[in-house]
Amino acid sequence: MKPAWAWQFEPGTLQRIDTQLPAAITREWAWGGSTGAGIKVAVVDSGIDGSHPRVGSVAGGAVVLADPDATRGARVIEGPHEDLFGHGTACAAIIRAAAPDAELYSVRVLGEKLTGRGAVFAEGMRWALANGMDVLNMSLSTSRADYYGLFHEITDAAYFKHAMVVCAVNNVRAPSYPSQYASVFSVAAHSGRDPFHLDYNPAPPVEFGAPGIDLEVAWLGGKTIRATGNSFAAPHISGLIARILGKHPGLTPFQMKTVLMAVADNAS
Amino acid sequence: MGDDALADLAQLAADLGPVLRPRGNEEFLQALVETARLVFDAAACSIALLDEDEEQLEFRVAAGVGAEMTVGLRIPVDRGIAGWAVVAGQPIAIDDVRQDPRFAADVAETTGYVPRSIMAMPLESERRTFGVIEVLDRRQSGGEGAEDMELLALFARQATLAVETSQIFSNLGQALFEAAALAAPGEDLRSALEKRAIAAPRAQTELAELALLFHDLGRLGGEERLAAARIVDDFLAYARKRQR
Repeated sequence: MKPAWAWQFEPGTLQRIDTQLPAAITREWAWGGSTGAGIKVAVVDSGIDGSHPRVGSVAGGAVVLADPDATRGARVIEGPHEDLFGHGTACAAIIRAAAPDAELYSVRVLGEKLTGRGAVFAEGMRWALANGMDVLNMSLSTSRADYYGLFHEITDAAYFKHAMVVCAVNNVRAPSYPSQYASVFSVAAHSGRDPFHLDYNPAPPVEFGAPGIDLEVAWLGGKTIRATGNSFAAPHISGLIARILGKHPGLTPFQMKTVLMAVADNAS
Repeated sequence: MGDDALADLAQLAADLGPVLRPRGNEEFLQALVETARLVFDAAACSIALLDEDEEQLEFRVAAGVGAEMTVGLRIPVDRGIAGWAVVAGQPIAIDDVRQDPRFAADVAETTGYVPRSIMAMPLESERRTFGVIEVLDRRQSGGEGAEDMELLALFARQATLAVETSQIFSNLGQALFEAAALAAPGEDLRSALEKRAIAAPRAQTELAELALLFHDLGRLGGEERLAAARIVDDFLAYARKRQR
């Protein structure tokens, strides 16, 4: 008798894997020559203004609305939509700068009202996963303990699908979801300006540092604005991940963390 | 309502009201925004709280330029920088707000004062989101954006605790009054509270039960009340340690 799941490791059943990781991981190996082509990145935020010169184009997207009558408390309307605040456009432009040929998708979950927000965030993430997104940029968070289980379930699902969920951590020194989970790439701002300046924090929960202080970012009406927030640090990491995936499709989230750690500015 | 219940309720309110009621929530928030404005050397600081439908933010307290115009102002939560902070659960600082055409027009119409910079942080506990604190035109920080945000986080935490405490007290008061209002003629408050505890939705059940316990405590002697207060105090210290 064999325990459950043991069949997966039977000779003939177990697939050969290509670990892809070289002996020494360099930036040249990681993303040299890559433009992020073929990689789908979902900006789960306030919408994206595709006409902004720094964004270029939006490949598609959906608006998620709270709906108490829907099975999971939210419904999805696919199609073009505007950016309600400007923030999603800022994130999209940061990702575009690092991965010029990546496909950007807008998943608008912010707006309207707050009631049902957890269900809306979750449904937006589900839409992104169901539509084959490789990277999900989540420059948003909640401290609400009610959502702990819901987000845990979805981020785990993303991890097992090899989707990279990149989350801005909250500024307050208290748990915030989904940035709190080990399965996601949690990001806070460091004071650097170089978009390729990436730090790895060996003492998580915040694992990665990227620019997010006093940056000139894209905003509504084709303009730019000077802004600060961890929410601008996350898309820097999303962009780098898209760039790396463009060159090494099929990397798993744990491999991606290894690569980012190896090429971090504070790595020896 | 039963006469007994009414008498009990009046007694209970008189005994416990001054102890439980968080003194002057609005005054506290006002003092907080005044302090924050001074610390940041800012043109203005304000706190807006979400309405019941969570569709609008209403400015409750403000200090500095345009304070009178700001208090009472309502803005939809799906607009502007403060709105984004609330819906995204993330702090944000913008240093040239005038570049945001929609925001500038909205604000100019309402307060007449269009700031250059704005820093907004959500007021959020692990139970719910209450609103936002924002600082307008703080001193030129020159690369200290991150430190400013850490500092504002401390003010936001205080404001959140104050608002949450006040709302818990209101809920407790509501539970008491509903129990009294629904008491059958001749029924005393204890059994009315029990009914209320059973009928309440889960989140409020604990509050109703707590009210029941306070009711019973209030009838005990002074020494017993003192002992109970010490036990609650010790438990709180223990619970806080566990949370750390």
